[in-house]
Amino acid sequence: MSDTLDDSTPFDDLPGDLMMWVLIVSELLVFGAGLMAFLAVRITDPAGFAEAQSHLHRTAAGINTVVLVTSGWLAALAVQAAEVGERTRVRMLLAGAALLGVVFLILKGVEYADKAAQGIDFETHPFFTFYYLLTGFHAAHVVAGIVILGLVAWRAQARTVEVGAQFWHMVDLVWVILFPIIYLLG
Amino acid sequence: MSRSAQISPTRAWIVLILFSMGSTAIAATGLSGLVPALAILVLAWGKARVILRHYLGLARALGFSRGFSLVLAIYMILAMALTVAAIGGG
Repeated sequence: MSDTLDDSTPFDDLPGDLMMWVLIVSELLVFGAGLMAFLAVRITDPAGFAEAQSHLHRTAAGINTVVLVTSGWLAALAVQAAEVGERTRVRMLLAGAALLGVVFLILKGVEYADKAAQGIDFETHPFFTFYYLLTGFHAAHVVAGIVILGLVAWRAQARTVEVGAQFWHMVDLVWVILFPIIYLLG
Repeated sequence: MSRSAQISPTRAWIVLILFSMGSTAIAATGLSGLVPALAILVLAWGKARVILRHYLGLARALGFSRGFSLVLAIYMILAMALTVAAIGGG
């Protein structure tokens, strides 16, 4: 019997934290299924979906994409800064990323208010049922991400900053798929 | 593990911004039909790959990167097939 214990696992190469990857994959499956259902239901009424989509503000959503992508960039820079122990820079970068997350939510709130002013709600058309469910669920993740960025900025340690940034990048990843499917596909 | 395939966060951000501007510009032209729709999905596919590889770090884990890329490819091809069914049948 050997005294040597081999603790290596197939997941050793995976960057960041395994449990965060489990969460990321779970979230991607949920959003992926939702978007696929949207595309499938759209086949039954392409003209109705296109008309409903024309009520969305593509430019504002495009600006929100730039906001979120830029926020992800700041989070990635924070991970690099954390690896070399620049804690003040880490906190500044994470604060910037979180602030852009708040900007995203404000623009999203303006978008929802505009829909409400037009008398558009969940039941107006199946398009809007998916729209509110998917963008609302995503916005909830942005809120959670802002809280997580704040928590990992508190101690600004490399390991926790990387895991927090992973969650934020997942939020970013969902949006870059959700945005074109909901807002752009005519 | 190899970091050779990893690009800097700033380069990844530039690619993401360019792809996002590209998809918004295609939509802003007002062109409808299959080609613009598929082009928008291809750009989304590209953005997802950049985030997975360079922000989530899968470029440093080739096996996992291949697995995620395969699943993403299947997903995007299915999305394109459903788009063809909607627009082609519309």
